[in-house]
This record gives sequence, structure tokens and C-alpha cells, in this order.
Amino acid sequence: MSVVDRFTGIGLRWVNQIAGAPILDRLGLRRPTEQALYHGTRIGFRSAAAAARGFKRVQTLGQPARPSSPSTSGLFDLTPSEDQQMLQDAARRFADEALRPAAAAADAAGAADATLLEGAAELGLGVLNIPESLGGAGSERSAVANALVAEALAYGDMALAVAALAPSAVSNALVLWGDATQQASYLPAFVNEHAPMAALALHEPQVLFDPFALQTQARRDGADYVLSGVKSLVPRAAAAELFVVAAALDDGEPALFIVESSEAGLSIEAEPAMGLRAAETARLHLDALRVPASARLTHDAAAYRDAVALSRVAWAALASGTAQAALDYLIPYVNERTAFGEPISHRQSVAFAVADISIELSGLRLTMLRAASRAERGVDFLREAALARRLAADKGARIGSEAVQLLGGHGFVKEHPVERWYRDLRAAGVVEGMLLI
Amino acid sequence: MKALVSVKRVVDYNVRVQVKSDGSGVVTDGVKHSMNPFDEIAMEEAVRLKEKGKVTEIVAVTIGGAKNEETLRTALAFGADRAIHVKEEGEVQPLTAAKALAAVLKKEDAKLFICGKQAIDDDANQTGQMVAALLDIAQATFASKVEIEGDKAKVTREVDAGLETIEVDLPAVVTTDLRLNEPRYLKLPDIMKAKKKPIDATSFGDLGVTPGAGFKVTKTTPPPTRSKGVMVKTVDELVSALKGKGLL
Repeated sequence: MSVVDRFTGIGLRWVNQIAGAPILDRLGLRRPTEQALYHGTRIGFRSAAAAARGFKRVQTLGQPARPSSPSTSGLFDLTPSEDQQMLQDAARRFADEALRPAAAAADAAGAADATLLEGAAELGLGVLNIPESLGGAGSERSAVANALVAEALAYGDMALAVAALAPSAVSNALVLWGDATQQASYLPAFVNEHAPMAALALHEPQVLFDPFALQTQARRDGADYVLSGVKSLVPRAAAAELFVVAAALDDGEPALFIVESSEAGLSIEAEPAMGLRAAETARLHLDALRVPASARLTHDAAAYRDAVALSRVAWAALASGTAQAALDYLIPYVNERTAFGEPISHRQSVAFAVADISIELSGLRLTMLRAASRAERGVDFLREAALARRLAADKGARIGSEAVQLLGGHGFVKEHPVERWYRDLRAAGVVEGMLLI
Repeated sequence: MKALVSVKRVVDYNVRVQVKSDGSGVVTDGVKHSMNPFDEIAMEEAVRLKEKGKVTEIVAVTIGGAKNEETLRTALAFGADRAIHVKEEGEVQPLTAAKALAAVLKKEDAKLFICGKQAIDDDANQTGQMVAALLDIAQATFASKVEIEGDKAKVTREVDAGLETIEVDLPAVVTTDLRLNEPRYLKLPDIMKAKKKPIDATSFGDLGVTPGAGFKVTKTTPPPTRSKGVMVKTVDELVSALKGKGLL
């Protein structure tokens, strides 16, 4: 029997004798005594163990033992997969080399260059989501990859990214909610080298527009639906051959309809906006436009809700890309621009503002990716999408404004891209729809 | 005709390279890597030759650690039909690389070996030439135009005096110069399809190559920083300043 065992043995016997004594009950002392005994014995045992312990110095030439990194599929791991990374890199390269240099001219012209958009189409932006059985390259839902691609393109230019991605909103909607006939009728065209221009028309020119309380009506008339109303801020509507239009049914429930641009009753009016000028935003006037019942995209009420949410995630991704562009532009600027004989980044007001941008952008980006990741996994993501939209609207616009501020006079003039980014970032808080990831 | 293209994973050309504080090399941890730009040009040329019907199969090969698989995926997305990964975690010097590539070239019996004229990390500009020498086959370096006619290749080279056009018998080694072509943007669907293309792993041992160290890097130092200039107000001041420095 070791010293420690013997010591604790004696201790226990003594403890049991006291604890078992009936006199404690009579005197009402049982509870306090038990507490005292508990503490006493615990400390006693602890010091007994410590007394017997000795640290022995051991020399070894082996490696220290450290916990290894867990596998990368954990709850908060947002590292892109190899594929996602490659897709993002490819999109980013196009953004850096093709979109960014063309952005200022496209903004001034209020139009995207046709060759540039062809180049973007050749990248196969839309094909990624179309299943292989329909000639595309997709095999599983890829909301995260889509978000990363949208973000990478918006790093080049948000308006051109919107113009380039607008057709994917329609093909995505068909992939996600179209029936077999609708898919077979329209999707093969999107796989083609010369994919049709198409756009999602969700937004309306209403005060405090609510995408769940649409003013555009879809009245059931026999075998047809009759659409009437105005859709606003539709990207590249003038060039589009196909639209997916959101309209309220007779009972007020929102639904999505496939509308071809050749239908009678459809007219398009240019609606240039503060930002997104290269996306050639326009209004869509639907004047008793008649579509067959088969043009309705889905009868599932959840689909429309998902469409709004996916669009919000897409906007958050765009805002995140453009905000990152602004941050990457700012940091060298504030380090190189001097005032009072030193870089302006030495001023706390400047350094803190840049740090705030970085913090807010990280928050926006993480929330956006979390929403995209949940959408991809097929679990409820409406809350995350709403959070991402809110951050994109508030922080996106703030980052744009701060970026202009930090560049001083240079922020205001068109010599620098920051004023354009500010105007584009304002869109994230205004527009509903346009894209689907 | 089969074409073999070697691709190397290097620190991305946009990265501002930093020298390690102990001077043992440059910082590569946590730094963006991508395919050597000259190798992209080599891949693009191979793909163009395939589009013209001159090449029927493109095999991409790389030497290096597990991360180099990304570079092979990029090559497959570019248009390579399959890839070979010579796995080696340690340092690989040009002669060792050339021996391994020569062994792969021989094994694959490819008629054309295209590689970048140099990799932008060590700028050795040796590997292509050594492959040709080891196999005793023709070499056409610094190509700015490549035409395949039968079992010959007509290659225009950029030399100091201008352009030189040479004809080489196949099999041959072609190393690419900057103006050979402009690599295309990777198509996103091709990136997805690249996943399904095969990558065969091999090693120096399998290829019968013993890695050797022909030279040793003793020290890496950053280029000296430019010291601050002096502003002068008049020409006289400039002249006297230059005289003062003994430059006039």
C-alpha cells in the first residue's frame, strides 16, 4: 500500500465516522458539517496526491506532441474546395484582365461591349448550373461556386458582372423550378455557344417595394394567364430574348412566369440608374400580356421564396466582390498618398476607417457564404440570405461611401474607379432580383 | 501525334515576392501559386495544334508535391487529355527535372515536347534544352510560331537580331516564348470536366531517376532598395552635383 493510499484510507475512515454520527442530526449540524467535510477532504486528497507527485526532467530528441488540424469539412470551414477555387480563380482572372479595364468606358457609355459579353458567355458562366443530361456541366447544386464566381466578377466590375450573369438567372430558375418540358424547350439554347440574352424581372417601381406583395398581376383567364404591370431595373432587357417575370396570382400569391420577348403586350423602356450603368437597366411594361398556363414556372409556393433569397445572396456576393475591390484599391492609396509629410495611413482616422471596412466586409462575406452554403446543401437559408442582404445593403453602401471619402478629391472624380464602385454598391440595397446564384 | 507538355507550379506572377529573413530562399507558404505563364503558353499552343488536327493527344506532366495536382487540373481544364504527376516533395534542380521529363517523354513516345522557355521562379532556362540533349533529339527554343508539317516542325524563334525560322525533325523539344500566343481564359465547364480526366502518379524511382544536386543556393537576398533622389533647381546645380559625384 502506497503512502497516498494509506493516507486517504485513514482520512476516509475518519470522515465516515464523523458523517455517520447521529449527534449531527440532533444538533441540526448535518448540512454545515457535511459541507465542511466535503471541502476538507477534497483539499486533503489534492494535497496528498501532489505530495506524492514528482516531475521528472526527461530529455528526448523526438517531436513535441501537438493536436493535428482536423479535416476541412468542419462547421465553420469556408475554405473553397479545389474546384471552387479554380472556378473562382478563372472568373477572377477574367475580371482582372477583361472586365476591370473595360469598366470605365462601359459605365460612361451606359452599355456593355458586345465582344466583352461574348467573352463572358464563352467562359460558360451559365453552363455550370445546367445538368449534364441537358448538355451542361453541372452535376450538383453549386450555390457556393456561383457566389464565388459572382463575387470574383464583381471584383472586376459590378455592372458588367450583372450584365454577364443576367442570363444565368433565367437558366438557373429553369434548372431549379422548370418542369421537364420547360427545361427541354429552353435550356439547350443556353448551352449553345451563342446563348440567348435573358433576364429575371422581379423588381417593381413601387414605394417600399416588397417582393412578396407584387403589384404586377397574373390573372387566370381560361387556359391562359394575363400579365399586367411594370417591372423595373431589368438588366439588359432591350437585348433579352427571354424573361422570367414575377407576378401575383388572383389570390395574391407570387409566381414566376416564362415570357418570351416576342410576346404581344411587352414593351421595354430604358431606365438608366445611378449605378449598374453598363448593365443597361430597363423597365418592362406588361400590357395584358397573354401566356399559356404552361409558362408558369412552378406551382410550389416555396420556389418563389427561394428565388428571392437566392437573388439576395447573389447581391451580397456582388457587393462583397466590389467592396473587396475598393479595399484593395484603398490600402496602397492610403499608404502612398502623403499629407503633412507622411502617408495618410499614419493618421488614425484613416487607418481605423480602412480597418472598419475590412471588418465589415469580412462579416458580409462570411454571412453571404454561409447562406450560399446552406442553399447548396438544401437546408433552410432564408434567414441567412436576409442577413446577408441587410449587410450588403448597409455595409456595402457604407464601404463605398467610406472609400470615396478616404480618397478625398480623388474619390469624387472619374479618374479613379472608386466613385463608380460607390454608385454600384448602392444598388445592393435597392434592387431585388436580377440574379440567381 | 501525341504532345507532351510540362507544367510547373510557381509563385503567381502578381505576388510581390519576399525573401525569407534567414536568406534561405523566398517565402512560398501561404502565397498564391499558379501555373508558370510560359507553360500556359505551351499548353495553349498544344491545344491550338490539337484544334488544327496536328496533335491528337495532349499529355500534361508536372514534377512536385501534392499541391502540384492543382496545376495539372488547370492543364486538364486547358485541354490536356490526361496528366502525369511525378511525385517529389523535395527540391528539384533543372537536370533532375530534365532527366525525369526525358524518361516520361520516352515512355509516352510523344513526338512533340512543349514547355515554357523558363519558369518564372528560378528563371533557369535549362530544362527544355537538357531534355533534348539527354534524348539526343532536336530542339527549337524561344518559339514565337510553331507549324507542324508531316514529321517536321517549322519553328520561328526570337533571337537577338530578329526572327529566325528553323526546321526540326520530330520528335523535338519546343520551348515557348512570350509572343507565341495569348492563352485563353479557362472555361468554367472545362474546369468541372477536368475533374473526370485521369492523373497518373509516378515517381523518380519508377522513372529510374536519381535526384541530384548539381548546385547549391547559398544565399538569397532582395534587390537593393533605391535610395532617395535629390531635387535640384537649376542646370548649374545639376552640373555641379554631377561633378561632385565624379560623373562629369
